Amino acid sequence: MNTSEERVRELIAAQAGEWFMAHRAGPLEAGERRAFYAWLAASPAHVEEYLGVALISRQLPAAADDPNMPLESLLDRVREENVTAFEGVAPSPLAGDRKHRMPVWGWAAVPAALAVIGTALLWWSGLQTKAEHYATRHGEQITQRLADSSVIRLDTDSAVTVRYDRTQRLVEVERGRAFFEVSHDSGRPFRVLAGYAEARDVGTKFDVYRQSDSTVVTVVEGQVVVGLAPGQPGAAAAAGRTVPVRAGERLQVSQGSLPATATPADTRRSTAWLRREIVFEQEPLAIVAAEFNRYGATPIVIETPDLRSLQISGVFYADDPETFVAFLRSLDGVKVEVTRTSIRVSRM
Amino acid sequence: MLRESLRDVGEIKKALLERLFAAHGRTLQAFLYRRVHHHADATDLAQEVYVRMLRVRDPDTIRDMEAYLFTVASNLAKEHAAREGRRGLAVEVEDGTVLEELSEPAGFDAQIDVAHQVQRLREVLRQLPPRWHAAVVMQYVQGLSQQQIGDQLGVSPRTVKKYLAQALGRCRRRMARLG
Repeated sequence: MNTSEERVRELIAAQAGEWFMAHRAGPLEAGERRAFYAWLAASPAHVEEYLGVALISRQLPAAADDPNMPLESLLDRVREENVTAFEGVAPSPLAGDRKHRMPVWGWAAVPAALAVIGTALLWWSGLQTKAEHYATRHGEQITQRLADSSVIRLDTDSAVTVRYDRTQRLVEVERGRAFFEVSHDSGRPFRVLAGYAEARDVGTKFDVYRQSDSTVVTVVEGQVVVGLAPGQPGAAAAAGRTVPVRAGERLQVSQGSLPATATPADTRRSTAWLRREIVFEQEPLAIVAAEFNRYGATPIVIETPDLRSLQISGVFYADDPETFVAFLRSLDGVKVEVTRTSIRVSRM
Repeated sequence: MLRESLRDVGEIKKALLERLFAAHGRTLQAFLYRRVHHHADATDLAQEVYVRMLRVRDPDTIRDMEAYLFTVASNLAKEHAAREGRRGLAVEVEDGTVLEELSEPAGFDAQIDVAHQVQRLREVLRQLPPRWHAAVVMQYVQGLSQQQIGDQLGVSPRTVKKYLAQALGRCRRRMARLG
């Protein structure tokens, strides 16, 4: 299993842990039961991790009763880490309207964060302006660490150009989709130009999806401000008006139109591509198939027209069309033929 | 009143589940962990459970999907064991006792194996963030409620649940990687 597969497995195992804990809290409600089934049905890997987590839980009473690791010393370590963490984190310059959020991996990240700041300072001294271009081919994804330790992840069929100088960090999304983990630098805003939209930020995590008729900005952590990109129609009239987009929100910008406020977003869904997961909730089969075809070598062809609008839900892996085929076969009255050149879906 | 009866249902279900796991857990454990050099078996097993689960046309008819999962997995593990027995892979076990050995691994071998697994899981636990590890000890050894654990750690019961879920996931992957 290579590292990216292992990363996917870790995510599934964490979800399995959540579902397992949900079951321990008492009987699931009807809606949760359906969601649990949908989660299991998404992939055999989900079933495997769930069984695996259940077994771990069974072994924990014996393993956690470790005479060399008494609870008191563990609690001492927790207290120590709390103290170090509070001393170690400098107050955020934006503390007024934005809470500094620790990443999920917790206090252990503090030394890493300090190291990032150190790297950024080193880099600052040897500053230079140079454009870097990154692009992905069909079915390819890349992760690129930038000079300031910010990270860009590019989805399939995407391209960006990065220009850093003393006053700003500028990234242009030429096509497709990119996810940004921006390292903190209040002195140099991080600007993303994508079609009609411009997103501005100093340190956070967000997703920018440039489509032909609009651009969607979804924020996972922290906050960005979004406006119309300079030079785009309506940008002058908007007179620099911006809209804040906070964690868990999205904003869709079309030609000359900047909505007044952001709307709640399903961030798990909008960042699913990072795991090469494809998440659908009551979406027409035609759209799901198109999404698969963005990655897959074997195109999915829907032969019966009325199946195109069939509503389906589930979580699938882009690089595992077999699971999706198994799922389609489980649907009533649906037939799937797999040949070497195509996957044909029709009514039985 | 309603809440009271709901809690009862929860308790009953918990007891049922414990019994279920007592009955099936060992078979599964034997299957998923004992035969390290047959790693593909665990994946195959999950595939089969998955396919059977998808064959259920109306999942709403299964009131407890988790219990269903454990039962199917355990039955399949037994079938696999029986097949392997026929193929003569488990040569060290006397004929006719293959099934019992695998479903009730109370033999010397199995005991060593369980002790070994516990030791490894201990090492994995030590590598967790201390707050996850502490939550695990308070839950699994001391039997504290998530509210009580939260009070000790200065976090909400919801956060405690999150620690426990993450700890389970992390331990599972580390153990799987150790093989």
